[in-house]
Amino acid sequence: MTGLAGVLSALGDDPMLAVGLTLAAFLAGQALVNLMGKPAWLPAVFVSAVVLALAIVSLPLTYAAYREGALWLTVLLGPATVALGVPLFQQMHHIRQMLMPILVALPVGAMLAVIYALVIAWALGATPHILASLAPKSVTAPIAIGITEALGGSVPLLMGSLLLTGVVATIAVDLLAGQLKVSDERILGFTLGLNGHAVGTVRAFEISATAGAFASLGMSLTGVFTALLLPFLFPF
Amino acid sequence: MLRGFLVLIGFFLAGETARLGLGLPISGGVLGMLGLVTVLVMRGQVSDGLASASKAIISVLVLLIMPGVVGIFFQADAFDGYWLAILSALLIGTVLSVLSTLLLMRWLTGPRKYQETQ
Repeated sequence: MTGLAGVLSALGDDPMLAVGLTLAAFLAGQALVNLMGKPAWLPAVFVSAVVLALAIVSLPLTYAAYREGALWLTVLLGPATVALGVPLFQQMHHIRQMLMPILVALPVGAMLAVIYALVIAWALGATPHILASLAPKSVTAPIAIGITEALGGSVPLLMGSLLLTGVVATIAVDLLAGQLKVSDERILGFTLGLNGHAVGTVRAFEISATAGAFASLGMSLTGVFTALLLPFLFPF
Repeated sequence: MLRGFLVLIGFFLAGETARLGLGLPISGGVLGMLGLVTVLVMRGQVSDGLASASKAIISVLVLLIMPGVVGIFFQADAFDGYWLAILSALLIGTVLSVLSTLLLMRWLTGPRKYQETQ
């Protein structure tokens, strides 16, 4: 057990290696995306994840060992989910501006986001394990992880699905809003947040502060609504 | 700000207690968040400490989800044979749900109703 490889594999047991790698990959991903001019189809977290995967593969570190070390980070997801209640409370007054449309569109839209995906995946032969991973695809990550765990799905598949959903929702809103002649920033924002969670919300803040506020409102409400309802309805 | 973190952890633990005690299939984080929103609505305001603590932890959320995201590169072969179903559900399903939300919101805020909400 001498040399660099021996030292590195001993370091693999130290959680600080996993935490440091994650932080370094996060910053590298952000820097790369900034260099590319922040394209809407490429979320920084995806680039960061590619950098992180390459780092794990090239070091004498297994994914299992990495994930165990990274528990030091993921344990914070619980309090971070609670923290989402603060912006939800701060943005609640926007609901009054569009009370009826939001109260109707939110449950219908959030349910349809789940139903379309489940019906298509089921029709093409997906297993219950896969369906449980896809179901919360439009929900913001910290809440969605809890839902998929409760349903018995795969968190990595969920995370990939979340990213793809966020990107597709963002592109779809850009393309369809013009076709349907929808220009109300509140509607665009709400649609981005409801369907595209955090990825859509970032895009909404680029449109305007109003769109961003309605996006974070749509994102939080979709998360809460889906988390409360889906675990009870899913077996069907 | 540390006081704010303690509030967040307190609500999370209360949420976990409710989840385990009542056997609910809802994460402790979501239950804690609902508790927090209820208290904030009753009080009508957020303390500075809680506002800055939640802002700080939300700003590093992406970092917290990265260990989960990177997993898909290592576990993708577990889903071999199902990628057509998965990708179709995500691509077609998301375009359909965006279309539905836009049409629904446009209809609900239609010219007449739109003026009523102003």
